[in-house]
Amino acid sequence: MAVLLDNVTYSYNINDTHRIDAVKGLSLHIEEGTFVALVGHNGSGKSTLAKLLNGLLLPTSGEVKIFGNSTLEPNKIYEIRKNVGMVFQNPDNQMIASIVEDDVAFGPENLGVEREEIIRRVEWALSKVGMLEYRKRTPFKMSGGQKQRLAIAGVLAIKPRILVLDESTAMLDPQGRSEVLKVAHELNKQDGITVIHITHFMEEALGADRLIVMNGGRVAFDGTPREVFKNYEELKAIKLAVPWETQVAISLQKAGVDVGDGIVDQDELVERLCRLL
Amino acid sequence: MPIVIKNLTFTYSAKTPYEKKALDNINLQINEGDFLGIIGHTGSGKSTFIQHINGLIKPQEGEIEIFDLKLTPAKRPKVDLRALRSGVGMVFQYPEYQLFADTVEKDVAFGPKNLGLGADEVAQRVKHAIEMVGLDYEAVKDRAPFELSGGQKRRVAIAGIIAMQPKMLILDEPTAGLDPFGKEQILNLIKYLKTHCSPTIVVISHDIDEITRFANRIVVFNDSHIVYDEPMQQLFKHSEQLQEMGLDIPRAVKVVNALRDKGIDLGDEIVTAEDLLKAIITRYNAVHSTNIDENAGVFDMYDFSQKWLTSEEREALGLISTPQGKTQDDNKARKSNKIFGSKSEKKNRSSKKDAASKSKNKEGEE
Repeated sequence: MAVLLDNVTYSYNINDTHRIDAVKGLSLHIEEGTFVALVGHNGSGKSTLAKLLNGLLLPTSGEVKIFGNSTLEPNKIYEIRKNVGMVFQNPDNQMIASIVEDDVAFGPENLGVEREEIIRRVEWALSKVGMLEYRKRTPFKMSGGQKQRLAIAGVLAIKPRILVLDESTAMLDPQGRSEVLKVAHELNKQDGITVIHITHFMEEALGADRLIVMNGGRVAFDGTPREVFKNYEELKAIKLAVPWETQVAISLQKAGVDVGDGIVDQDELVERLCRLL
Repeated sequence: MPIVIKNLTFTYSAKTPYEKKALDNINLQINEGDFLGIIGHTGSGKSTFIQHINGLIKPQEGEIEIFDLKLTPAKRPKVDLRALRSGVGMVFQYPEYQLFADTVEKDVAFGPKNLGLGADEVAQRVKHAIEMVGLDYEAVKDRAPFELSGGQKRRVAIAGIIAMQPKMLILDEPTAGLDPFGKEQILNLIKYLKTHCSPTIVVISHDIDEITRFANRIVVFNDSHIVYDEPMQQLFKHSEQLQEMGLDIPRAVKVVNALRDKGIDLGDEIVTAEDLLKAIITRYNAVHSTNIDENAGVFDMYDFSQKWLTSEEREALGLISTPQGKTQDDNKARKSNKIFGSKSEKKNRSSKKDAASKSKNKEGEE
């Protein structure tokens, strides 16, 4: 089991007397090799959950286990962080070196990896994200999508088995978003890396094996994207949305045009309309 | 009075190996009352362009006429930048990163104070601006901006611009990074500001489906040039060319084009979800001899009238509250929960429980 959360609660102190449970009694397991999309409105607890996975935050109660190791055991934390690579929202905050390959080498250098092995890993990681030709360039003049792919390469060089993308596509233009998403799916399919992709874009969840919806620190829905998007009224009630095409189909249905349900993307919508019109 | 931009050209790092022409002979007229959308991929020159409009960048070549002011490359006469910037409010990307004061009130007051207004006038404008963005003045004024949620912070930052009462508002990627609900709130806010604050609005966005929801006119930047300047309904005749430039076209246009490829022509000028629903219903009626009202298709991500929204949420979504009309007691009563969400949080929890149990039931049925 790649990820196991057992009745996990995490509370923040907001002042001397008040505490907020960002994550509440959450139990969850994720099999190795799964592509998981995680959605929820701001403040639903999804970023807290991400930070609990690699021990950046420790549970107030309950336990988080990564490949059987609990984040509460201080002597396991390095191994856990090696296994759980995280990429955050802002591409500009994640670059530390002035040359691409130095940036990617930073992780393995800090783990004390041999020089020859570092070179191999840097090449492998950069080629995985399609950035090998940029190895001698500076990251600061790159597009947002390139910077985020570079950030992913920096994480890959540590050879994680789990990749957590914490709203890594939020600040990118449509092209950058699709670049990053493509890389994440390739790493999942070709290298069997477990991906946990946190996003506000519902259509980005469509390619995932599993969609987990967070609300109020708990899991509100958990299933394939297709199953979850059937609950569109409930999703809107917790400040989320369904893909645009699903919304169109629902609006038609309500108006009396019977397109049927379960439509999640453009091809399906067009196909149903063809039959009707 | 329209804003007239003539032959504007701008080059970064001129006469160095890094020389890059960002704007090449740009001509544009922005009319009073325009709701203008600007699109173009990263690096096409659109940001450089808008920075010219409020004098952050001085023209290298060409000129801009705006509110009796003339911006030119000449050193003299000096342009009254204060007048310019109080007339053109600029909301940058992620404006909440620019919040700096220790209370919301002080932060919003920074702009008007620097316009040299008197204390009373500043205080009044601050209150008005905070209420206009849909926040409860009494409840937020003494809070640190950093304690607010992402969407609320962004609205405070916008209030700081509105407090200068600009005649024209420019917003760069106003909804980037927000969740669907936060996006919806900001979009509603922009529409509200158009009628109640700044009659001319310019929005830059990568999300074309967002722009088509309010723009009456769209300007397309590509490779330092303006390649299209069209009424919103007309622009997507050029879908193919736009896609070649790497730009997104509205989802409704994609659906219409895909249907056309299969021999079903829904007609032209279908851009928004509402247009699409209407066209489909009309066609459906014709094919099936039915009589469905062609306006029956309502595309609302969040329906205000639905009972699952709390009254606070409905108000926040609509941003149609008129704070002036409320009594002090009303404000006091809501103060405790509107901003910190203690009550609505609880309601949410229970509604989520409902949702969760519903989903369980469904699973059971299956």
